[in-house]
Amino acid sequence: MILKKEEPQDPSVAFRYPRVITYKHSLGYQSKFAHALKMGRIIATKCPVDGRCTVPPRIVCPMHHVRQTEWVDQGQRGKLLSAFKINFPMFDSRTGDLKSWETPIVSIELEGGARMDGWCAETDTEKLKPGMVLEAVWRPPEERKGRVDDILYWKPV
Amino acid sequence: MTPQIKKSVADIPEDPIVVEVQGHSNFLVTIGNTGHEFLSQIRDNKTIMGIKCAGCKNVYVPPRSHCPTCFAKLTEWVKLSGKGTLETYTIVRYKEPYMPKEPPYAYGVIKLDGATTGIVHLIGGVDLNKIKVGMKMEPVFKEQREGSILDIEYFKPVG
Amino acid sequence: MTGERIAIVGVGQTVHKSKRTDVNTGELCAEAVEAALADAQLTIKDIDCVILGSFEPADGYSGPDKFIIPEIGCVGKAGFEMQNVGTTGAVACATAFNMAASGLFENVLCVAWQKMDEAAGAFGRGGGGANEYWTGQFPMSPITNFARRTYDYMTRSGCTEEHLAMVRVKQDQCAQRNKYAQLKLGLTVERVMGDFLLAWPIRRLHMCPTTAGSAAIVVCPEKRAKKVTKKPVWVEDWFTCHQGGALTMAEDPQASTLGYACKKIYKRHGITNPKKEIQAWEVYEPASTAELRWMEEVGVAEDYKAWKLFVEGKVGIEKEIPFNPSGGVTATNPIGATPVVRVVEAALQVRGDAEEHQIPGTINRALATGYGGQGENVVFLLKKTL
Repeated sequence: MILKKEEPQDPSVAFRYPRVITYKHSLGYQSKFAHALKMGRIIATKCPVDGRCTVPPRIVCPMHHVRQTEWVDQGQRGKLLSAFKINFPMFDSRTGDLKSWETPIVSIELEGGARMDGWCAETDTEKLKPGMVLEAVWRPPEERKGRVDDILYWKPV
Repeated sequence: MTPQIKKSVADIPEDPIVVEVQGHSNFLVTIGNTGHEFLSQIRDNKTIMGIKCAGCKNVYVPPRSHCPTCFAKLTEWVKLSGKGTLETYTIVRYKEPYMPKEPPYAYGVIKLDGATTGIVHLIGGVDLNKIKVGMKMEPVFKEQREGSILDIEYFKPVG
Repeated sequence: MTGERIAIVGVGQTVHKSKRTDVNTGELCAEAVEAALADAQLTIKDIDCVILGSFEPADGYSGPDKFIIPEIGCVGKAGFEMQNVGTTGAVACATAFNMAASGLFENVLCVAWQKMDEAAGAFGRGGGGANEYWTGQFPMSPITNFARRTYDYMTRSGCTEEHLAMVRVKQDQCAQRNKYAQLKLGLTVERVMGDFLLAWPIRRLHMCPTTAGSAAIVVCPEKRAKKVTKKPVWVEDWFTCHQGGALTMAEDPQASTLGYACKKIYKRHGITNPKKEIQAWEVYEPASTAELRWMEEVGVAEDYKAWKLFVEGKVGIEKEIPFNPSGGVTATNPIGATPVVRVVEAALQVRGDAEEHQIPGTINRALATGYGGQGENVVFLLKKTL
């Protein structure tokens, strides 16, 4: 175990102060993306200058500084670009827990051209070769929250 | 690029969404040798110590390793009586996470006798409506002390 | 270029350790400030502007400058704090340079710090600069970012894990000659290759440590600099460049701003052969494996061939390419202070004051960089003579 959490014994030397703070983020233009995820679809905005699609969608193209008003469905499949597995416990920033991460993270190029990351069903990284086709496996509709992890994982076709 | 999927996006709603996210943190604070000496004296001897700058002649409470004004290294400790004068105070009536006490409670700045700076601490042992600026105050120590600034439970008016 | 020409007249840093239980954060900074003032032979009274830098989420303080300022004797002076994740120290230095160049201040102090024994380990929210909402499901950190980058580099260049280990051993050999460096381990290639695997191909030894440390510099405009010291280190230029963060990395694992920033700065000063025209390199590498690609981006190695230079033994303090003679970030990483440490080390090289890890010969130009977890870069060019 790499990360050690020592409990300080003497507050005149050192002490801890645990805090949980709740934030509320407005998704804005990206709300449509969240609604689409709830419907089991991945959509992206398309740049009018070079046609590149980006996930998550952005109101303005990061390279060309023009508004992106066209939304394009990205399909349900993607091509594997790269994969890696985390071999040690890391903090889940959503809960503050230290946990192990069993499945690899994959980078995928979707059918519509946009690229995104996701978890992968295939745990043996030796079997993951760039170029492989992967398909999205979704949570049941009633469990979807409009977050990227509504896609449970990607599995090889 | 692969052929685009020609599925219409018109049926996807666009209503704005606001998401709630929780941030967790568990940071450590190191006191340092100077602060450790100060808190140890409070815990072991119920004594409040200040530290003096020979150049500026200021006595700082809580103590620090360097003078804030002239940056000289501070080594001259001064034992204080712990008594002081209430310079200002406020009564907290609203609730927020991580407060030291349930509201309503009072805290203020007490200028200890012999010190140049005031110390912020809770005020207790007195009716909240009877607190006055200029009152003479003295510290009330907890029975069980562990080496924290809250080993002083509060400052109360003398007499 | 308008504005005053400026020079670094004093540098200082603490001896970096993984834990400093004897000091609080303010006292840690005071050590570096004392060292920098002693080096410049100035007192705190001479300082008229102070720029602070710390990666706040790593220490858990919001607006720490408020309590650091009294601890370093700077009450009543002009100044403020800068924060920008990994490039915090670099943007603090760049700001200090701007303040001196403006002609409004005579002696600008820049101090940056990080006390990582106090960190909660969760790297604050949004771990490592990832967009909290979209990538928050992944434990994003420099480890995973560099795992991805290095794997991609290995695929494109054909180098093996053994070559990655050679880079780490070189870093350690340099660190052993630097009295301020934290990790001095006496490493061998075998030990690195057999070390605990974090995320392939990154092993624990490849990653930078967590450090409690601080560094400070004093900067003056030209006329004042010449009065204060006989060995001013002239700040010739700097350039900062950002990109899209974790979201861009998903699109291109090698996306980087270092090459872009260097090209811009070289063009401004007519540098066409960086290997000959720059004699000292302190290039921020969060994982030792990053050095390979950085050497190519700054122009001392051909694309995807830098690993061959390690095989040929051409990289080292007394070798053809003196890259990161201080042992680099892999040996010492107090996040907020690390880019300032790079500037301090580069300045020491230019002055000939780096003691055991001094690059032999005259150092006319040195390059120092700051890197941010998602590919931001700040590049500084330091010169011996105007």
